Amino acid sequence: MSLEEQLPDTVEEGQSADELAELLGDLVIDREDHVNAPGFVIRPDTVQDALRRLRDDAGFDHLSCVTAQEYEDRYESIYHLKKYDDPTQEASVVVPADKEHPVSQSAEPVFRTADWHEREAYDLIGIDYDEHPDLRRILLPDTWQGHPLSMDYDQDRPQIVSLREHANPLQEDQRSDSDSDTMFLNIGPHHPATHGVLHVKATLDGEQVADVESDIGYLHRCEEQMCQTKTYRHQIMPYPDRWDYISAGLLNEWAYARAAEDLNDIEVPEYAQIIRTMGAELCRMAAHFLALGTFALDVYGDFTAIFMYAVRDREEVQNILEDLTGQRLMFNYFRLGGVVWDLPEPREEFFEMTRDYLDRLPEHLEEYHDLVTGNEILQMRTVDTGILPPEVAKSYGATGPVARGSGIDYDLRRDDPYGYYDELDWDVIVKDGCDNYSRLLVRMLEVEQSAKIVEQCIDLLEDWPEDERNIQSNVPRTLRPDDDKEIYRAVEGAKGELGIYMRADGTEKPARFKIRSPCFSNLQTLPEMSNGEYVPDMIAALGSLDIVLGEVDR
Amino acid sequence: MAAPLQSALLPEQIASMLGLSGVLGEIVGGLIGAFLIANIMLAMTAVAGPWAKRKITAAFTDRIAVNRIGPFGILVIIPDAVRLLSKELIVPEGVDRPSWDLAPIVLPASALLGFAVIPMGDLGPINFHLADPEAGLAIVFAFASIASVALIMAGYSSNNKYSLMGGLRAVAQNIAYEIPLIITALSVVIFAGTLQMSEIVAAQGDALVTIAGVSIPAWYAFVNPFAFVLFLVANMAEIGRNPFDIPEAPTEIVAGYQTEYSSVYFVLFYLGEFIHIFLGGAIMAVVFLGGAAAPISALSFVPGFVWFVIKMWAFFLFTQWARSALPRVRIDQLIEIGWKGMLVLSFGNLVLTAVIVGVLL
Repeated sequence: MSLEEQLPDTVEEGQSADELAELLGDLVIDREDHVNAPGFVIRPDTVQDALRRLRDDAGFDHLSCVTAQEYEDRYESIYHLKKYDDPTQEASVVVPADKEHPVSQSAEPVFRTADWHEREAYDLIGIDYDEHPDLRRILLPDTWQGHPLSMDYDQDRPQIVSLREHANPLQEDQRSDSDSDTMFLNIGPHHPATHGVLHVKATLDGEQVADVESDIGYLHRCEEQMCQTKTYRHQIMPYPDRWDYISAGLLNEWAYARAAEDLNDIEVPEYAQIIRTMGAELCRMAAHFLALGTFALDVYGDFTAIFMYAVRDREEVQNILEDLTGQRLMFNYFRLGGVVWDLPEPREEFFEMTRDYLDRLPEHLEEYHDLVTGNEILQMRTVDTGILPPEVAKSYGATGPVARGSGIDYDLRRDDPYGYYDELDWDVIVKDGCDNYSRLLVRMLEVEQSAKIVEQCIDLLEDWPEDERNIQSNVPRTLRPDDDKEIYRAVEGAKGELGIYMRADGTEKPARFKIRSPCFSNLQTLPEMSNGEYVPDMIAALGSLDIVLGEVDR
Repeated sequence: MAAPLQSALLPEQIASMLGLSGVLGEIVGGLIGAFLIANIMLAMTAVAGPWAKRKITAAFTDRIAVNRIGPFGILVIIPDAVRLLSKELIVPEGVDRPSWDLAPIVLPASALLGFAVIPMGDLGPINFHLADPEAGLAIVFAFASIASVALIMAGYSSNNKYSLMGGLRAVAQNIAYEIPLIITALSVVIFAGTLQMSEIVAAQGDALVTIAGVSIPAWYAFVNPFAFVLFLVANMAEIGRNPFDIPEAPTEIVAGYQTEYSSVYFVLFYLGEFIHIFLGGAIMAVVFLGGAAAPISALSFVPGFVWFVIKMWAFFLFTQWARSALPRVRIDQLIEIGWKGMLVLSFGNLVLTAVIVGVLL
């Protein structure tokens, strides 16, 4: 192993599946073919070996997602690998585990992000990850009986937990520990700074953070399981709106639409793609405005003008989206093969309203830059605090503005094009400050780029010939993808790479539906950013991650 | 305009109005006078807290705020008072009772005591000035710093870690900023040559320069703007407003020392904070803004008390403006600004003022 680690990094340019198989050598016991990538089946005790080879010798430095599932005869973990340089190059490492004693080697020593992903797999499916540093439940309470997504799980069995086991987590007061100089502090789940039901267990040394641990799962709503009980064609689409519910609905819908369309070979008409692109970018603008506003709350205090200004701008975007989709938050606007309806009539009015807002936007952004990014106190607070070096960010699978604020040039809209982004003129914003300020700045500058995209979409839609306005392709009433067809597809959500893994079993419902949430991976970086910093900087770092607990917990 | 300053103090006026004299007159006059001043301050706080603060913040953030009851919604004060007072008083387990109960009383009391020596000008025949001891300025700072005791009492006795952190922050902040505050005030004392409040105000009575018939008064804010700015910043930190609101820092430590307080105790804390803001404004007015004097002599027909209230409210408005627009600094940055910046600058200012006054005047 050590010899192979020292091999020069020469194989950067697109290896074929056979080359990768050769690289893995006798680790590969079987080959699979997923729709998005070649799958290499390996023994459960060689996971670290295989992933290390793929990372160091083939450049797969991004462990995007870990999917676990149970078959009739085995358990299986799939490690979805990508490259930060070129996310179209993908590889899946498939690790079957014994049905009776599902034990599989942990990937945590190779990719830090596997820590939480494997904990989730253990929690919901029940696979034991050997050598995992901290294999506990993550979404469900510690006292939960059984693993809800495993086959022998009895849904009807009541979860009887004694009062003692449900002990109040606040009760054990660690101040009584007289030997220690540190103070344990529960921040959340109800706290003005946590933006939702996040519970941060912080160990403080005076005003400085010695250690933080995020406790998630308060908003777990079984989204994956619910999607597994719904049909591809229409029933799943409303659910994505509920993941990142901070106005990013269309971006989430696109994640499902893209995966399901690729799984079922559905084409989307160009006209519908433009509408999708426009809607998605409007959602991104709204989401980034809210991120800006809540970050201001964290750094300024609760009576700040910036929050109201940001909400005012979000409101204007929301009005446009309401006109387009008929809804303000839970849009349910995309359909497989297109969108549900065309632009609202009269079209001129819609164009005028959108253009009118886009014309006013530069002035508003100028105001934000005066008030926020140009403020010296804010710079004093955010520059060089909450540092996230690019290598650490990559190891944790950070994506979206968090990665781009750490100088990682990674944006699926450009690197793995979908929709109409390829045809439009826009830039990926990258800042290499790696601090809270960079992440804030990336979001603010991305709003400008999104506005640019929306403007171009409007121009295209206005000139589109009336008889070619095809909003949906012909999609069969029932979709039954072939048995054992597997796909993992991601789009660039407001917070980063939002991926969907689906496995078909020949029926009209997915056999496994896995959501790769960008917030879930991004939130893992919190200890890296805040250990050793002051409490206010930890709060600011948390704000700059821009997490939505609906998406973290699903 | 020097005439009202020499008129009798409020207790004496009340005593002579009631026909009392001697010790009895002093006691009764003092009590009634104190009652009157305290009620004026409480009334101002009642306007500031439930109504003005909402309206001001709303104006900064493009909103409307309360507008349903009474003109401009001002009568919201009454239902708000009922609401606040009728809430349940929750006493958490394990609080240190005497201290926990005393803190919400000590805080507003310390601020109210400060008003005893503030010359607030006259309104008709009444002169709103309770006492005028020779060490007036020292007394007002002494009273104001009792507030720190209340904050650490509240923070410590609440049996809550957020409260404890808030209390410790408050003390660290007050110590770091009270020294520059007082040192800067001392530079004014060098100019005026006295600690007596009425004398400090009188010393600002002359005109500094007269341009085209409009005379600019010799307020110390104009005489020494540098000291004024220093004092303003230190004062903001002393009363704990943005960018120095870290003892409460809602998004970090929930509400700091007052996290566990509800109902009447909560009201008392807010009352104390608002009176402290007004006391801060009153000290600013006396020391730097000519007390109850009108800015230009053409406007001196407006009673002095009105000017004084306007000056206090101007400071209140300033704190609300800062709150809407400025981020808060971090605790270590705050201490650094206090000890490394403000302290050095305020001593520099003091020495420079002493030299200038000694050599030139």
